[in-house]
Amino acid sequence: MIPSAFDYARPENLQDAFALLAEHGDEAKLIAGGHSLLPMMKLRLATPSILIDISRIDGLAGIDATRDGLKLGALVTHAALAASEQVRKLAPALADAAAQIGDTQVRNRGTLGGACAHGDPAADYPAVLLALGARLRIAKKGGETVKEADDFFRGMFETALEGDAILTEIALGPAPHSAYVKFPHPASHYAVVGVAAKLELQGAKIASARVAITGVGDSAFRAKSVEKALSGVDAGDAAAIRSACIDAAAGIEARSDVFASGSYRAAMAAVYAARAVTAAAIR
Amino acid sequence: MTAVVGRAVVGTPTSRLDGREKVSGEARYAADWPFENPLYGVLVQSSIPSGRIDSFDLAAAESAPGVARIFTHLNAPRLVPMDSPPLGQTFLPLQSDRIDYEGQHVALVIAETLEQAQHAARLVRVVYERGPARIDFRAHLTDEIEVQGFFPADTSTGDVSAGLGGADVKIDVTYRTADRHHVPIEPSATLADWRDGKLTLYDAAQWVHGVRIAVAHVLGIPLDDVRVISKFVGGGFGCKGFVWPHQILAAMASRELGRPVKLVLSRAHTFTAHGYQTASEQRVVLGATRDGRFVAIRHHSWTPTAISDDYLETCATPARASYASGAIETRNRAVRVNRGVPTPMRAPHEGVGAVAFECALDELAYALGVDPLEMRLRNYAERDPTTGTPFSQKNLRECYRIGAERFGWARRSPVPGTMRDGDTLIGYGMAGAVMFTVRMPSTARITLHPGGDVVIETATQDIGGGQYTILPMIAADALGVPVERVRIVLGDTALPDAGGTFGSSSTMSAGSAVFTAAQELKRLLGGRRSVSQPLTAEGKFQPEHSDALSMFTFGAVFAEVHVDRDLPTPRVARITGVYSAGRIINPKTARSQIIGGMTWGIGQALLEASELDLGLGRYLSKNLAGYVVPACADVRELDVTFIEEVDEHASLLGAKGIGELGAVGVAAAIGNAIYHATGTRVRDFPIRPERLL
Ligand SMILES: Cc1cc2nc3c(=O)[nH]c(=O)nc-3n(C[C@H](O)[C@H](O)[C@H](O)COP(=O)(O)OP(=O)(O)OC[C@H]3O[C@@H](n4cnc5c(N)ncnc54)[C@H](O)[C@@H]3O)c2cc1C
Repeated sequence: MIPSAFDYARPENLQDAFALLAEHGDEAKLIAGGHSLLPMMKLRLATPSILIDISRIDGLAGIDATRDGLKLGALVTHAALAASEQVRKLAPALADAAAQIGDTQVRNRGTLGGACAHGDPAADYPAVLLALGARLRIAKKGGETVKEADDFFRGMFETALEGDAILTEIALGPAPHSAYVKFPHPASHYAVVGVAAKLELQGAKIASARVAITGVGDSAFRAKSVEKALSGVDAGDAAAIRSACIDAAAGIEARSDVFASGSYRAAMAAVYAARAVTAAAIR
Repeated sequence: MTAVVGRAVVGTPTSRLDGREKVSGEARYAADWPFENPLYGVLVQSSIPSGRIDSFDLAAAESAPGVARIFTHLNAPRLVPMDSPPLGQTFLPLQSDRIDYEGQHVALVIAETLEQAQHAARLVRVVYERGPARIDFRAHLTDEIEVQGFFPADTSTGDVSAGLGGADVKIDVTYRTADRHHVPIEPSATLADWRDGKLTLYDAAQWVHGVRIAVAHVLGIPLDDVRVISKFVGGGFGCKGFVWPHQILAAMASRELGRPVKLVLSRAHTFTAHGYQTASEQRVVLGATRDGRFVAIRHHSWTPTAISDDYLETCATPARASYASGAIETRNRAVRVNRGVPTPMRAPHEGVGAVAFECALDELAYALGVDPLEMRLRNYAERDPTTGTPFSQKNLRECYRIGAERFGWARRSPVPGTMRDGDTLIGYGMAGAVMFTVRMPSTARITLHPGGDVVIETATQDIGGGQYTILPMIAADALGVPVERVRIVLGDTALPDAGGTFGSSSTMSAGSAVFTAAQELKRLLGGRRSVSQPLTAEGKFQPEHSDALSMFTFGAVFAEVHVDRDLPTPRVARITGVYSAGRIINPKTARSQIIGGMTWGIGQALLEASELDLGLGRYLSKNLAGYVVPACADVRELDVTFIEEVDEHASLLGAKGIGELGAVGVAAAIGNAIYHATGTRVRDFPIRPERLL
C-alpha cells in the first residue's frame, strides 16, 4: 500500500507540462485528481519516477454553455459537474453519471479528463460521452487535435491519448433527452453495468437514439443494433423499449470477475438499456 | 443429573458484562498487549501450489534496515511432529523445501518495526521448481479417499436400494456448496514472549490449552514452561480452534532471538494461514410413498482435503438424525488437492449438509404436491432413525408449529411464482435444522472474598458467545448473590482447564463446571453468607457418553425472500427460527448467537464463496472486497424463539449449545424460498443473481 518513490513537479501552464513530459518520457505520469493513478501506484501497478501535476494549470476547469452545447475543461471535477445547473439542463446524462461516481471524496478530487484518460472499462463517463457524441480536444507540444468519442475509447485502459498528450477539453452538443443509469458495484460504485441513452423525439416517438454501455466489455461501446431497433418506437411503450434493448450486448465479449459473470453483465446490459431509454424519454 | 431450576438471574435477558470494555476499547485482544522492545514478524507465502523451493535469494532482504533474522526451512529449528487436533495442520512449517499449496508459509521475516519487516518480506526472492498440481476436487471425484473425521464417514440402516425400488416418487439430485472462509474481523495474531526459559503467548485462540499443548510439544519444551493467554477474541468461527503454523513460528522465533515477537496476520495471509470450510459435492437420493412418507434416504458427499493432512467435512450427517425412514445410507469421501487443510467453520458438517439435504427434501415435497412443512411432520423422527435410540430431548414439533404461526406460513400460495408485489417476486421457504451436541470435560474454581465479591476462574474462552456474562449468571444464581458481585477470569492456561470453545460446547461445559464449583462453595460455607478469609471451591464437569441416548439440538427455519424480476437479485426479507436447544441461560446473548448464525446462513445462501483460480490454486480475492459477507443492509427482520425446555441429560444446567445451530438450515430455507418465488431451482450455492437469469 505504499508507492515506490517518485519526484513531483507542478507546472503552471501547458507549455511547461509539455517540456516536463518531453524531458522525462515514459518515466513521467500526469496526475490530475489522483483517484485512479494513486491507487495504481499504491498497488505498484504504476511506478512513475516523476508525477507532473496538471491540477493547477489555468483555464482547464471551466464549464461553459455555448451556442453548440457545453465546453468542459478536463480538470472539472465530478462534483462540479454534478452540481452544475447548465449540465443538468443541457446534458442530464452527464450530471447523472457524475453524481453517481464513487463517494464524496472521489467526486471532489476526481476529474472528467482523468477519468476519460484512464480508460477504465468500468468507468461511467465513457458511456455518456459515446452516447452524447462528445468531441475530445487533445493538446501536444506541436499542436492540437480533436477526436470523436467513438474514436477515443479503444480498449481496456487504452485510449487515443499518446504519452506526451494532454486532454484539455470535452465538448458536447445539447442532449436534453438523455439519461445515465447504472448497476453500481456495492463497494467501489464503479459500473458493473452502466448505460447512457440520448434520444431525439418526434412527438411521442423516438426519432433516433444513441445508446452506449460501460462495465460490460473491455471498454465502453455503442449498442448500435439497439439504436436501430429504437427508431420509431413509441417513447411511452415500456414493453416495446424492452424488446428493442434485448440484444444490448450482442457481439460483445462480456467480462467476468468475482463480482459478476459475463452472462450476468450481458443480461443486465439489456435491463439497464431499457431503463436508460425510458428515463431519457421522460426528460 | 439434576438441573438448576427457577432462579432469579438464569433465564433473564442480561446485557454483556464485558460490553463496556469492548465498546470503549479497553478490551485487550491479542495484538493489543503492550510489549516492551518487541520484534515484528511478517510471513512470506508460496506463490505456487505444488513443487519445491529451489533456492532463496535473501541478499536484499537481509540487508534491508532493521532485519533481525529471516527464517526459512534452511535455518529454522526442526520441530517435533504431532497429530491433529490440537494441530490444525500436521504439515509443519519451514521444515523442508516441499510446497503443497499456494499460500504456504515459506519464510518468516523478523525486524525491528512492522514496516521494516513488511518491506524486507517483499524483498525475499524465492526460486521455485513447480510440480504437478491438482486444484479442482470436482474434477477428481473418482479419486476419492476414505478419511477419518470427527464423525463416522459412513452409516447404513435398512436397505436403501430396495426402498428406492419400491418408492412411488424418487428424487436424485446433486447440490454444490462453495469454499468459504471464516474471515473474523480480528485476523489471527500471536505475541510470543520467551523469557528466562519460559514462553508466554498472547494469542487469538478458541482453545488456550490446545495451543499450549501443541506449542510445547512441537518446540520440545516442558508443558509447564508454556502459558497461553487469550482474553478477548474478535471472532473465531472455527479458524482459531486448532493450532496453525503461524502460532508455532511466532513462538519459535521468540525463542531463537530471545526477544518478544509480534506476529499479526494480514487479512490476505489468513486465507491460507488457517483452514477454510470446504466446498462440497453432495448427491441426495430420496424415495417416498405417494402420501409423502420416506422409504429410503441416501446422502453422499465429496469434499477436498490437503495433500498431507486429513480433514473430513461430514456433510451427510443431517440425513442420519432428521427424519424417520426405514432405510438411510450416508457416505462421505474426500479428495486430495494442493490446497491448505480445511477446518471446521460455523456450522460444520450438518451446516454444509443441510443445504443439500433440506433442499432435496423440498424438491420431493413439490414433486409430491405436499406442503414442505407437512412433509416434515409426516416424517417426524420420534427416535434417532440411525441408532434407534431416543433423543435426550426433542421439541421440534413445537418448533414447526410456533414457527409456522409466527411466520405466517399459512399465507403461502402453494404454486411457485404466484406471490408478487409489483416487480418483486415473493417466496416462502422453510427447512429443518439439526446439530450434534458436543460437550467438553471442564473444570472451574470459585472464590468468595471477604466483602462478598465472587471470582470465577476457568480457562474457557469468550469468542463473542457471551461466556463473560453467562458464567457469572450461573454462579450468581447458584450462590444467591447479585450478578454484579461476580467477576470471571478466563482465557488463560494458568486457570483450570475447560476445553475448546468450539462445537457450541462452552456454555454447557464450562457452565456446568462453574455450577458444581458454586455448589461445592455453598457446601463449604455451610450456611454462612460471608467469609473473613477468601474461600475457594473447585468444580468439574465430566460428560458421560451414553449409547442409550442421542443428543442433538433442533430448529425450524422459515425465510421470506424477495427477488427483483429484472435483476434478479434475491434479498432475504425476514427469517423466523424456532429452536429446541435446551435451557437458555441468557436469552439476550442467545438471541445474539442465533441472529449471528442466521446472518452466516444468509452469506452461505447468497454471497460467500472463495473463488479459486484453478490454474494457480490461488484464491482470487484474499480480502473482504472479493469475499463478500452480509452487511447490515443484507440482514433485515430476524425473529428468534426458543422452546422453554431443560435437557437434564445434556449438562448439569439443562443447557445445550446454540453457537452453530443458528447457522444451520438457513441457506436451505432461503434456497427453497427462492424456488418458491421464481420457479427456478438452483442447486449451486451461493445463489448468485446470475443463476436466476
Ligand atoms: C474509491 C473510488 C471509487 C471510484 N468510483 C468510481 C465510479 O463509481 N465511477 C467512475 O467512473 N470512476 C470511479 N472512480 C475513479 C474516479 O472517477 C477517478 O477520479 C477518475 O477515474 C480519474 O480521475 P483523476 O482526475 O483522479 O485522474 P488521475 O488519477 O490523476 O489520473 C488517471 C490517469 O489519467 C491520466 N490523466 C489525468 N488527467 C489527464 C489529462 N488531462 N490528460 C491526459 N492524461 C491524464 C493520468 O496520467 C493517469 O494515467 C473511483 C475511484 C475511487 C478511488
